[in-house]
Amino acid sequence: MEMNLGEEIMAFARRSKNLFPPVAKDCTYRLLANKMTWILIGILLLPCLFGIILYNEFSEDREYEMQGDDKIYLFPDSEDNLVPLHKDLRETFVEQSDLFNISFVAIILAILFSSELINEEYTQKTMQLLRTTPIHSFEILLYRYIAGVLCMFGILGIYSILFYLTTMMGSGQYGIIENLDVLLLILKVLLFESIAFMGIFSVFTIYFNRPFLIGIIYWIIWESIVSGQNYQKITITHYLNSMLFDSTKEMGWDVVASDYNLVNSKDDIIATEPLTSMLIIIIITLIMLFLGTRGIANRQF
Amino acid sequence: MSIRLEQVTKNYGNVQGISNISLEMEPGITGILGPNGAGKSTTMKIILGLSRPSRGIVRVNGNDPFTDWKLKRKFGFVPEYDCFYEHMSGLDYVSYFLRMHDVDKEKAEKMAREALSELGLDDSMERKINTYSKGMRQKTKVARATVFDPEILIMDEPFQGADPTTRGLLMKKLTEWAEKGKTILISSHILHDVQSLTDNIMLINNGKMLAYGDRHEIRKLMDNIPRPISIRPLKKGNIRNLAKRMLDEKWTKATTIDEENNELTVETDQSEEVYMELPRILQNEKVSVERIYSEDDSLDSLYEKLVEGAQWK
Repeated sequence: MEMNLGEEIMAFARRSKNLFPPVAKDCTYRLLANKMTWILIGILLLPCLFGIILYNEFSEDREYEMQGDDKIYLFPDSEDNLVPLHKDLRETFVEQSDLFNISFVAIILAILFSSELINEEYTQKTMQLLRTTPIHSFEILLYRYIAGVLCMFGILGIYSILFYLTTMMGSGQYGIIENLDVLLLILKVLLFESIAFMGIFSVFTIYFNRPFLIGIIYWIIWESIVSGQNYQKITITHYLNSMLFDSTKEMGWDVVASDYNLVNSKDDIIATEPLTSMLIIIIITLIMLFLGTRGIANRQF
Repeated sequence: MSIRLEQVTKNYGNVQGISNISLEMEPGITGILGPNGAGKSTTMKIILGLSRPSRGIVRVNGNDPFTDWKLKRKFGFVPEYDCFYEHMSGLDYVSYFLRMHDVDKEKAEKMAREALSELGLDDSMERKINTYSKGMRQKTKVARATVFDPEILIMDEPFQGADPTTRGLLMKKLTEWAEKGKTILISSHILHDVQSLTDNIMLINNGKMLAYGDRHEIRKLMDNIPRPISIRPLKKGNIRNLAKRMLDEKWTKATTIDEENNELTVETDQSEEVYMELPRILQNEKVSVERIYSEDDSLDSLYEKLVEGAQWK
């Protein structure tokens, strides 16, 4: 009996309760059992370790003042004026997250995870078996994609919380609580980054035989070189930077568009509104999922 | 369930996978035979919808298996190669694919246990697949493909790596499934296995279908290839006279005497005629025989004749 689109969607939603849990369990196991994941987690822990070492070195030099019940730590700036330490540390947290976590580790994780979750299914030939089961190609991709996004965001999110704590602990309890919005901003950017790059790299793993290499080339040429140029609006990095720029400006930070490379060659600001940025990232992801579904459905064995 | 291939050709770039294959499969077992690279797996993948023909039409119950993903619930596939999630146990692996058939967790586990147990994997189903022997892997593949009771079973070399007990068990199961009305397509390079399961065969070589149908019927079509018919008289002395008498008949191409086994082999291209005339000749010559037989329509013989490039009508 033919079903209309509404019934198809309902059937799909109902089926997902059965289909998603085993896929998610298997994918999570595969990602966490992968040695490369642990190497990257090890690399991620280095800045946290560095933060702890730094804290031990400068914590005794701090001064503080009491504002009501709050103990605010102070630190001398370059002109020897005492300034609240948490303002300096939160900037370090955002800068380092942007440089290391967002621009480097997240991309490598996305390439690694999409390769493990989808390319491995082709290598191990389990994709052939999946294609002989009554599930739509979209379901084959979507559940793996969601599992990948959750794992990627989980790892990067936990890392960000740890990094935030180890960076901000110098500013005491007040500094940690006062700047939670900064942590939330980084988590939001990481979530959208996971959503976008898992989608893009999943498509690479479906269409190319050497997805890892293609992913690295894409990252270097597209997201690193083009993202600082006039045509940066065709990159994901532009929209992530726009989200960072707008939010830090909203928080009253002293930032300019060029800090996030959001200017063209004439020095005009070309930042995109954060809501528009999020929407564009979601639309790009949906397009990627559509292309990926087509790729799986049309791949022959 | 019916499977229909009409003039199906599959090319991989400049390499031809299969060429102009037409067949119609009905419930029961069909054996697909051919040397390595003949196009057996390609034919199977086209039926399964894993590959799309370059030319021609494939229909399973009237639908295109490449585009109709819902049709896949009717397929059970045992591939020739290993395709496991090695970190899973046999039980998890079979349950996992049952979940893909929208079976809930508890039911999937129960069904998987039963299927694996039936194939003799009671003690090892909770062990990781990467510790399995070849035979255990084969059984796990069969359990995965059959646990949801599919209407069509496509099995590529299912006896590969199976010990005699497993082979016997699988053959018994295949016969049971065929009796239940399932459509089973099975490839094997062990011709004896196929021969003991079915007479319905498809012979394929270099991507071309050489013959399809009942193997006895196929042999009958090959009349221009002399067929040996062996006669074993009761008394030893009769054999030479009988050979001489046989050479008088127009349908005898040659005779061979095997003194040691007291056996005369007559080569003929009109075997039907021989079987009609032989009783009369033996009666006239007053020769009593112990046995008349021809092993020429055995699958081995048929396979050898067709695949070695011999012609048939």
